[in-house]
Amino acid sequence: MVSNQSTINFSSWDGTLSSHEFYLAARAFADKWKRFNPAFPQWSWVPRPKLPWTAADEVDGYLSLENVFLPRSTEEDHDKINLTGEEGPSCSNMDEPIDNATLVQNYGCELHHYDFHILYSSSYRVPVLYFRAHCSDGQPLVLDDIEKDLPANSGKVLMESKWTFITQEEHPHLNRPWYILHPCGTSEWIKLLFMTEASLSKGGVAVEQYLVSWFSVVGQVIGIRIPFEMLNNCGPL
Amino acid sequence: MASESPSSSRKVVVHLRATGDAPILKQAKFKIAGTDKFAKVIDFLCRQLHRETLFVYVNSAFSPNPDELVIDLYNNFGFDGKLVVNYACSMAWG
Repeated sequence: MVSNQSTINFSSWDGTLSSHEFYLAARAFADKWKRFNPAFPQWSWVPRPKLPWTAADEVDGYLSLENVFLPRSTEEDHDKINLTGEEGPSCSNMDEPIDNATLVQNYGCELHHYDFHILYSSSYRVPVLYFRAHCSDGQPLVLDDIEKDLPANSGKVLMESKWTFITQEEHPHLNRPWYILHPCGTSEWIKLLFMTEASLSKGGVAVEQYLVSWFSVVGQVIGIRIPFEMLNNCGPL
Repeated sequence: MASESPSSSRKVVVHLRATGDAPILKQAKFKIAGTDKFAKVIDFLCRQLHRETLFVYVNSAFSPNPDELVIDLYNNFGFDGKLVVNYACSMAWG
């Protein structure tokens, strides 16, 4: 639980966070998600394993949401997401009538499993979304396949706007290539989100709200919604 | 959309507010059906401003999903009988 309420002071704020503030915001985000989104897979904090030559540092870690199923997109139903983590009725759009005469169906790959991690970028001083995907048979998905799973709108945003685009980078904790949503524009749009008249008059906002606001934008790209209850006391009140 | 239930078919006043270097609209307030998706507000703004994309957000420091219903946003985040929607041009940053 996060108890000490830290505030972002706006007088010279550039939209960024320290790694400790990221830790506070991440824990608060996971707590809120659990409270208001209990039916969905949960975010958990993964501390970096202690290495013999480093001091234990609980703050150094990342948020993880793994094994989320994004059903394959269809023309009519491109932005629905099944977050239950199990094959359920909401996956019914997968059960298209199968013509047995057809040789190959979906290349034997029905469900796409997604792993999402939120890491702190010490160079940009903002959170970064890392993700990867694989089929049920373990086959990793390439970016072209992933883009087909994303909401139609995010495809448009990714194509046309300069503040979000996907690249591949080494996951700093796992040392494997993961896709990331490039953080170069993050501090700019975060500033826009937070620097409202009301919050300016109050002189700041709680650090704990940072990741909720951040995810309201980033979640749109990957098609995961934030429940209103998480946002309700989000802004300056 | 013609046949909604009375409660959901009510109109919502949306107040569009420019931030940053975004152009100001001649008519900043307009009414929209509560049953419309937020995407309609975004599309309207993009058409008015001749932009492909905009950064659109509400005062409670978040950017609503385009699939949210306007009435839901109003009920949760409306104030003074209107829903304030801020918009900024997605700048050539990055």
